[in-house]
Amino acid sequence: MSTVATSQIELKLPRKPEFVKLARCTAWTLAAQLDFVVSQADDIRLAVGEACTNAVEHVPASASQDIIVRFHIAPEKLVVEVVDDGPGFDLDRVGQCDCDEIGGLGLVIIRSIMDEVDVVCDPKTGTCVRMTKFRNPQ
Amino acid sequence: MGNALQISSRREGNDSAVLSLQGEVDVSNSDLVKNAAVSLLADNVQRLVIDLSSTEYLDSAGLGILVGLLKRVNESARSLVIAGARPQVKRVFEITRLNGVFTMRDDVASALQEVA
Repeated sequence: MSTVATSQIELKLPRKPEFVKLARCTAWTLAAQLDFVVSQADDIRLAVGEACTNAVEHVPASASQDIIVRFHIAPEKLVVEVVDDGPGFDLDRVGQCDCDEIGGLGLVIIRSIMDEVDVVCDPKTGTCVRMTKFRNPQ
Repeated sequence: MGNALQISSRREGNDSAVLSLQGEVDVSNSDLVKNAAVSLLADNVQRLVIDLSSTEYLDSAGLGILVGLLKRVNESARSLVIAGARPQVKRVFEITRLNGVFTMRDDVASALQEVA
């Protein structure tokens, strides 16, 4: 895809494990269409999958039943936001890769493969994982 | 939405087994992997090879299951070897540094020699 008319695409998915694949496959397809190299598209797919998995596994049942995945398309980068209304990460514990704390691995992976990662946890609005991948020259 | 994972197993000798995962392992199906492996261990398997040569995708949910299996195996003085992981899957082990925790071999034949 040489040009993209829309600068933002939003998915609203049921917060269920079987829909995580839909989110990550959409991410890969979009990245490929935007001419990201395959290894970058693979990274974006994995990161989106991990963020959605976290929303599925760690958001309490009382929270909204939806996950919002937003893709912001820019010439030099793709920004993906995964939003849920859960309490978010324990940021003090994230970043350490410990086999006894396997639940934190998702964000470790995201931070390792994406160029920029921001996690915003707000008790009122929930959690937003914002991930950026800059396009490598072809 | 269909299950994108096929799980198969075969016995090797009296006390070894190969568990093959074909497709994508994620939060929707990682429990199936656990159940299949636990079933083998309950059937007196002492040496377990997890064949990832046809695994196209593995995420932290899948890794979590494998770590749990490794703990279970180590606690009972058995062995577990990861075989044939493709580059994209191997990269997930490397990012999380779990490649230093698991015994990993390039193919099932090498893995079976490892556990023999």
